[in-house]
Amino acid sequence: MSKRMWMALISLLGLFLGAYLTLYKFGFIGTLACGVSSCEQVQTSRWSVFLGLPVATWGLGFYALTLMLAIVGLQERYSDSRGLSLIMLLLTGWGALFTGWLNYLEAFVIHAWCEWCLFSAGMVLILFILAALDYRHTRQFAET
Amino acid sequence: MATKRVETGRGRKAGTVRSAKQPVNRAFYLIIVAIAIIGIGSLAYLSTRPKTGRTVAFDSSLPKVQSQGYVMGSPTAPLEVTEFGDFECPQCGRFATLTEPDVRTRLVNTGQIRWRYIDFPLEMHKNTWNASIAAACADEQGRFWEMHDAIFAAQDQWNGEATGNPNKVLKQLGEPLVADKAKFDQCIDDQRTKPKIQAHYQLATARQLPGTPSFIIGDQQISEFLTYDDFKRLVDQQIAKIKPASGAPNTDSAKAAPLKKAGE
Repeated sequence: MSKRMWMALISLLGLFLGAYLTLYKFGFIGTLACGVSSCEQVQTSRWSVFLGLPVATWGLGFYALTLMLAIVGLQERYSDSRGLSLIMLLLTGWGALFTGWLNYLEAFVIHAWCEWCLFSAGMVLILFILAALDYRHTRQFAET
Repeated sequence: MATKRVETGRGRKAGTVRSAKQPVNRAFYLIIVAIAIIGIGSLAYLSTRPKTGRTVAFDSSLPKVQSQGYVMGSPTAPLEVTEFGDFECPQCGRFATLTEPDVRTRLVNTGQIRWRYIDFPLEMHKNTWNASIAAACADEQGRFWEMHDAIFAAQDQWNGEATGNPNKVLKQLGEPLVADKAKFDQCIDDQRTKPKIQAHYQLATARQLPGTPSFIIGDQQISEFLTYDDFKRLVDQQIAKIKPASGAPNTDSAKAAPLKKAGE
């Protein structure tokens, strides 16, 4: 599988994770499946809302966007598009920074961890690494 | 380089690798569709399933009772502060264990405020009604506040993430507090105090509170965790409004920092 295929797969998993946490936040899911950490403390803290929307919903949008870009990037017409690679790199880079800030809040401000948030953070980091490798690849291809 | 391009799907010319790539693409899209179906199905199940383990829920057929919560402090205190709380809410637990001891010692016991607690058991919490009912059962024996403190202190032992049988833990928590243990246990089993909790719940919903903990301090309504200094500053402001002529009581946080947000 190519990097963009992996990105699409990971984004799809993230999309459902974001949807799960968003449904919880809006009261459609009673309790979170959270075995070893303090998901609710994190999800009900004031930091769980950003610019009027739950952070989970922002995550949902982020994963939807990366999924869409990765699928577009798999089409033959865009398979070597440097522009698309750059957009994915910037998007996932921003996502990695944002998720790093959220992890900082969990560790030093809220003093509680949410395992789903950590899982998401791992996925965003992998997406960023894949996007960086993809961008390097398209740049090398353009130079040849 | 050409080999690499074929492997990663880049730079191929039409017709040269199509036969090799198409099965990969087909398998990939099949995986995507399979994950999508599983994901949508799981979310649909999770959001529509009955709330298992929710042993207590609002029952409109129960007789209506008049109750205004639980009060601590002097009836002549110049200011009353009301908390709408949920025993299973983490921020309420944080307030009860970190801030409230100081509130009681420095403000309630000194006659500056009267403190009222009203249950607001939120839908999202599986075991919170059980806790409210148990606390009201302890109140029948005059031990509400002791039970309130025990419930919050042991929140992680009986909440929805810890157990499907909260009553067992709640009965254990009440054992050293109440004089008549059999009566207390029976009260929990019969959910005898449920109409009272429903009355409290309706007081909270009538105010359209955004969540818990919510505090009514004079003409202010705050719905977030408060540190003692934040809380005291708000109390001072309200007392100053009530007694503009005589001035606010001399307090130890008159120069407290501006109100901080929860979690800071």
